[in-house]
Amino acid sequence: MKSGRAYILTKSDAVMFFASLASTMRIIAPRKLVGGDVMFGAVSSPQEICWDYGHDIYPPKRFIFPHFEEMFSYTGDGNIEIRDSGEAPQQAIVGIRSCDVRAVRFQERFFLSQIEDPYFKARLDNTVLFSLVCNKPPRKECFCICCDAGPYLDSGFDVQLTDLGDRFLYEIGSDKGEKVTTQEAYMLKEAGPDDIAKRRKIELEADSLFETTAYIAKAINYISSDEVPPEVWEDLGSTCFRCGACTNLCPVCTCFTVDDLQRLDGSFIRCRSWDSCQYAGFTREASGHNPRPTFGSRVQRRFYHKASYQYIERDGTHGCVGCGRCVTTCLTHLGLPDVVKRIRRAMHNYLEPQQKVSEV
Amino acid sequence: MEQILTTCGFCSCGCGLYIIRNGNLMTGLCPSLSHPVSSGRLCIKGWNGIPGIRSADRLTAPLVRKQGRLEEVCWEEAISTAASRISQLVSENGERSIGVIGSAKLTNEECYALVKLARDVIGTPNLDSSSRFYDASVNRALIETIGYAASSISDLNSIRNAASIMAVGTNVMEQLPHIGSRIEDAAINGCYVVAVDPRTTRLAPHSANLIHPRPGADLVWVRALVKYVIDHQLYLPEIPETQGFEELRSSLADVEVEKAEELSGVGHGTISALAKLLAENSPLLVTFGLGVMQQADATAIIRGLANLAILLGGSILPLRGQNNAQGACDVGLTWDFLPGHAPFSYEPARRVWEAIWGRELPSEPGLSALGMLRAAESGLLKGLLVFGENLLLSSPNTAATRKALDGLEFLAVADLYLTETAQLADVVFPACSFLEKDGTFTNIERRIQPVRKVLDPIGQSRSDLDIIADLASAVGKKIPRDPMKIMAEIGMGVPFYRLGDDDRKDSTFGRQWVYDSNARKLSAVYPSHSGDHDNHQFQLIASRINYHQQTGTMASRSTILVREYAEPFAELCEADAEMIGARADESVTISSPSGSLVRKLVLNESIPRGCIHVPHYFNGDSPNALASYECDPVSEVPVYKGLSVNVEAVK
Repeated sequence: MKSGRAYILTKSDAVMFFASLASTMRIIAPRKLVGGDVMFGAVSSPQEICWDYGHDIYPPKRFIFPHFEEMFSYTGDGNIEIRDSGEAPQQAIVGIRSCDVRAVRFQERFFLSQIEDPYFKARLDNTVLFSLVCNKPPRKECFCICCDAGPYLDSGFDVQLTDLGDRFLYEIGSDKGEKVTTQEAYMLKEAGPDDIAKRRKIELEADSLFETTAYIAKAINYISSDEVPPEVWEDLGSTCFRCGACTNLCPVCTCFTVDDLQRLDGSFIRCRSWDSCQYAGFTREASGHNPRPTFGSRVQRRFYHKASYQYIERDGTHGCVGCGRCVTTCLTHLGLPDVVKRIRRAMHNYLEPQQKVSEV
Repeated sequence: MEQILTTCGFCSCGCGLYIIRNGNLMTGLCPSLSHPVSSGRLCIKGWNGIPGIRSADRLTAPLVRKQGRLEEVCWEEAISTAASRISQLVSENGERSIGVIGSAKLTNEECYALVKLARDVIGTPNLDSSSRFYDASVNRALIETIGYAASSISDLNSIRNAASIMAVGTNVMEQLPHIGSRIEDAAINGCYVVAVDPRTTRLAPHSANLIHPRPGADLVWVRALVKYVIDHQLYLPEIPETQGFEELRSSLADVEVEKAEELSGVGHGTISALAKLLAENSPLLVTFGLGVMQQADATAIIRGLANLAILLGGSILPLRGQNNAQGACDVGLTWDFLPGHAPFSYEPARRVWEAIWGRELPSEPGLSALGMLRAAESGLLKGLLVFGENLLLSSPNTAATRKALDGLEFLAVADLYLTETAQLADVVFPACSFLEKDGTFTNIERRIQPVRKVLDPIGQSRSDLDIIADLASAVGKKIPRDPMKIMAEIGMGVPFYRLGDDDRKDSTFGRQWVYDSNARKLSAVYPSHSGDHDNHQFQLIASRINYHQQTGTMASRSTILVREYAEPFAELCEADAEMIGARADESVTISSPSGSLVRKLVLNESIPRGCIHVPHYFNGDSPNALASYECDPVSEVPVYKGLSVNVEAVK
């Protein structure tokens, strides 16, 4: 079993494969709930895994960077004792989509470069990602194809599965993937030319089925060259509902806040939880000054961060994987493709003001 | 690690959301994608308010006042103390010396159990909910027009299909974001949105028209609008045959449209243009918020708005505040109605409940929440039981309310925290939040939705239902502790809460109760009798903003929500600020005969001349303190809107 090689795992063997894996780690996978929702969670049996789940709303990033996380506890009675309470169970995230795998790699760069985050590192070290190729875009809001983050991956996964009908194409993409496969290697066989051909066909078909297009490149040029006039951002900010869902559900976003919460026994826990650059309190300084005082300036911050400051300047790519969750979860229309469209339109009007008059 | 589907306990939209739990810890939350209201979305309070609920200052044990101090006791002692004090007051002063006030944040089952506790177990007609301080003015006005006390929209998603929407006195984008979002979608689809509010709210970017009446003047322009529609026959063809048409027409005989435009400050020509726009763009949705519900003539204004919707074939959506305001009203947690919206004085309905409870009911209703405060002040009310409501902050005139509560011989409070109200109590019961109990909430579109126990109760806290049942059995009567049994009893007298076989299937996201759309009639709208007391400088525009809800008791426990709202402020336009000699960032004192507040001044040119905008802030720094016990005469909802105040610069 080698990294970079493709194998076949039949669907009937897959149940046994993951059941066997479950003896050494917990299996996190998509499950269908009553009412039609799908949510990732620990499965007690691989039969619960919903392989045709489409896409979920609550990104699996939370199994590595939890929404609410107890870091450590301490007593405050003069005799300070700090007890580490971070948990990092061995886990396989099975069925995670390409966009979310790509997002985990963004988070990895953020949390592990410069000052290493021990909580994130411990969790990621103990996690194996079994990504699942999207045979077609699962939701109409998906635009991973515009962001080089799907619907299938060439790298970044530990194992990548493609549904070929009665079997999965099983690609190994990392040492971790190789190691986890070795235990169960007897269930895999080499992929044949027909399997590879079938996979190619799925790729071509999936690529042609996207409904949402983000045309992100031009917007990145405008944003990173600072050409978007402030009134465009203020106009965008005027309709924002300030809920913070776009950053909460963004699989790339990493911002958090830290609270010391008192427990009933009088001891304290230090808890970190997801925070949002869309909140005024996030950037307000101790003096009361807020460098991002308006809603428009905070919407601007979100897009500068994604399309300029961090990712473009440091990583050479934009901080969006095209999962479409910011589109689905926005109470107004400030998902990334909408904003890109509005910036493009506004820039057009801005550059050619005469035309704007004649349009009206 | 598992997810539990439940219903959000903040506003009346009623989002479906999942709480992820690991053991007894909440480790995540997210909206349901398939739920018809949330559809994958939550507002800032849903995301951040819920984690704050289990803060460290939750009450963990019952408290009883001994030698002036609240001391922890066991449940048996707390319950028996309360029960014996109630029994003693009843035997000395009669049942009517006791009052019961519950919160519209309780489940339907708990609200009904309170009705039973008051009307059946204790035998007092003095029963009300916290809706009295918010939206209870909706009830009678809508029963007299559309026939029942709820919205007439088919569901919240239908808002997107409206061709015209008139939104009156509401900050809907911040207070009920899921409705605001659908209004925005309607506007994008070409709907004419008309925002009527003294202030320019965040509806402005989506509105075709902004109309700014003077605060407190809604009855004047609403009567003129209805008059114009009738005089110019803009209504549906069948309207003249509708019951009440002649009464409505003759009640408007005194209206002169132009004079009304001038008096209400909406501007010349506004009424005719608005009437035509709404009549020509069908379907119409008329929606209104606390700005209407808390005015001096709230019932009359709402009657007027409902008449307008009926005349033009539109629907009406009252933007109730608390998450279970609709359910609390449906199951009868109110002084003037029985469960199922029947007026208390309606004898056949009383017979139904007399049969179910097996006891005789008095023929006249008792006291409203405000009436109870007045009676406490005058010494007629001796004992008060408060469930889940921070009465001291939600009632008008904080100083007078404190005096009234202090004057009671016995006050018991059940709440999550030692609220300002609980601090005055003789017995305090630690209650469970909606995360820690089972039951149902009914949202603004009449959807009866499941509330599920996600986490274990904190400390020794118990659900309000258990506390009510404990009290009942200590007084000598039984109230079931099983929410399903309670719901079955509600169904005995409230047909639309009866679960049919079909309702049990596919009820993951609850079910909407169905109304009789043929019950509508028109109803007279007479002019105001409330006096003009305009000897103060400024008119108060009180509001709530994004991060705050009701008294702020729950929202203030979220570090993120509290962080958003750095310090309390008040807004004036520059000319008015200059007039009183105050500059931006300086402090101003806002005062009325009831009380005063000090706020930092912010200049905002969208605030009309002669008005001051004062948002609610946490910990009782609230414009409610400036209000008096003056109320809408029909519903007895206190007047919080259009108050006259003095504003001075602090030097």
